[in-house]
Amino acid sequence: MTIEHVTVEALIKIVILASGVLAGAAWLVLVERWMAAWIQMRRGPNRVGIPWTNIRLFGLGQPVADGLKFIFKEEFDPAHVSRGIYTLAPIIMLVAALGVFAVVPFGSMIPSLGHWMGTEPIDLMIAPGIDVGIIYVFALSSLAVYGVILGGWASNNKYSLLGGLRSSAQLIAYELPLGLGILGVVLATGSLRLDAIIHAQATTGWWFVFTQPLGFVVFVVAAFAEAGRLPFDLPECEQELVEGYHTEYSGMKLMLFLTAEFIHMMTASVLIAILFLGGWHVWGMTPPEQEIGWGEAILRVAVLFIKTFGVVLFFMLVRWTWPRFRYDQLMALGWKVMIPLGILNLVAVAVLGEISRDQYGMPWGSLVASWGLLMASWLAVAWVAPATTDNRPETTD
Amino acid sequence: MIAIATIPPHELPKWYEIVLTSPFAWAIGLVMVGLWLILPRGNARGRWFGALCGIVAIGLLAWHVPRLCGWLDESVFDGLAITVVVACGATISVRNPLYSAIWFGLALVGTAGLFLLIGAQFLSVATITVYAGAILVTVLFVIMLAQPEGHAYYDRLSWEALLSAVTGTILVGMMTSVIGHATSGAPLPGERTPGMALEIIHPRGSDRLASVSVAAAGIAEEDREAGILAEEHVAGFGRELLGRYLIAMQVAGALMLAALVGAMAIVVHGRRTDGRQAIRIGNM
Repeated sequence: MTIEHVTVEALIKIVILASGVLAGAAWLVLVERWMAAWIQMRRGPNRVGIPWTNIRLFGLGQPVADGLKFIFKEEFDPAHVSRGIYTLAPIIMLVAALGVFAVVPFGSMIPSLGHWMGTEPIDLMIAPGIDVGIIYVFALSSLAVYGVILGGWASNNKYSLLGGLRSSAQLIAYELPLGLGILGVVLATGSLRLDAIIHAQATTGWWFVFTQPLGFVVFVVAAFAEAGRLPFDLPECEQELVEGYHTEYSGMKLMLFLTAEFIHMMTASVLIAILFLGGWHVWGMTPPEQEIGWGEAILRVAVLFIKTFGVVLFFMLVRWTWPRFRYDQLMALGWKVMIPLGILNLVAVAVLGEISRDQYGMPWGSLVASWGLLMASWLAVAWVAPATTDNRPETTD
Repeated sequence: MIAIATIPPHELPKWYEIVLTSPFAWAIGLVMVGLWLILPRGNARGRWFGALCGIVAIGLLAWHVPRLCGWLDESVFDGLAITVVVACGATISVRNPLYSAIWFGLALVGTAGLFLLIGAQFLSVATITVYAGAILVTVLFVIMLAQPEGHAYYDRLSWEALLSAVTGTILVGMMTSVIGHATSGAPLPGERTPGMALEIIHPRGSDRLASVSVAAAGIAEEDREAGILAEEHVAGFGRELLGRYLIAMQVAGALMLAALVGAMAIVVHGRRTDGRQAIRIGNM
């Protein structure tokens, strides 16, 4: 295959994935509203169907109506903003959120498409040659801080600036446990490629959620915080903190911010499914052979999508059932609980991997040890951390 | 191009002839003038002319650089390189420190792209994670909390604009010409004449951009095949880092630990001395 063929193949994948992610974000918002309505015992959006008919389709036309409303809304820029950065901030945020999907596999691979595209099976990943996949994801998610911090500054508004600083401090703080959770998986796999991580879980049959439960907990909590979802949604805390960094935004720019936030949640879900829930692997259904036909390929894509959707539903369920953390509780959880637990998990993975290296078959010993570690750390946190925190200033004299 | 190896020494051109006929020298001169003009010197006179000089110089250099590989690689490289150069120029010439930081971030992203283009994947993502994701964000925090509007007039000027422009340009020019010489394939002549280094890039390069840059670092082609082009080159990189360079890495880690402990000591000390006063102010 020549360089032009590779480029065309990558462009096709980019078009599929970008449109899929954006459309997925639009319709998942609808799912989220359905979930909210179900939890709050309302009906939720169920009216918008095909225009000028009575066909409602359970409200499936709602995202189109919402999107059109956002596009045709007046896009009002306040006079006091710093115009260039004010425009740049949502663009950076969305680009960083979408760019992550360059290394995220959305399936395993499909058989060759005939003579024009070569005889090798095609990887369902935009950039299959990237050997640093998970660090690339990490790098781009660290760029998302720019959107928050620049948006807050460029709004030239004290509430927005404080909101931007608050949110970026949160994002920076939770990047560390996120990385520690990833490191355990990378250490157990020996590769930074996401497809290699899936393949390692498929060949052994042990998903990392079973062998590294503590790492799973740390990663999921950090992913919630990085995506700015409840219980960590201080970046967009509507009621008490006037939304923080995007108070001054409206119209399409606001939509870019909100879409990027939602895509962060989808990215986190895909990563949880890939890193800890086995990716496209299900016991007995999708054996990890390299030579696959069309049926197997489609089955793997479907399995990955179902797992991701399940994690997304979990995110939404948490959003409508949990209260929000106070800011000092959020910071204390990140720095004093999650980072030590992440380091503990990393050390445990290294030690257990070294001990059970020569034993083949089921890693029962290390399995029991890692679940025991989870229980022990849970008890330790519950024992040490107080049930209430007093953040009133000390009385002087 | 001046084929130095075939000309007898007494017919060698004078240094000023070499300088005047070399587009590289013209480009360097234009960069020097343009850099001086766009630096914040206290008045905005000539900034646009300086930017024009810079654009002409970049065009001259781009026209002078040989085409080394296919059009796709070449256009990606040109785009990234021009982005980095323009962003660096903007970083030192804009007067608002926040804009300066953002231009610097763009330069970092472009540099990461250049690393990725020659196959140094880990270096590329590490550049983004460490510099753009951590250091520059800290810089942004400092700038925002330090109120850029409150700065004095002399804080927004670059001191010794002329000297810094000349020094920087000479440094970059020398490095470019030496690296260009090393990669051109032409043997370095025994007799050095002034201005010989200005005869830079020879179009007789290999067909890949990457091999040129690797050759500049003095790495053989087979090492490159086994190293950077290998299927799992990051794993190999890690093996090297924890094998051959273990002590250097541990020393660097110990240094950072010491810095961390020092930072903690400063924080604790500061809290002990003025903590009570800060609380009293907070309660007022």
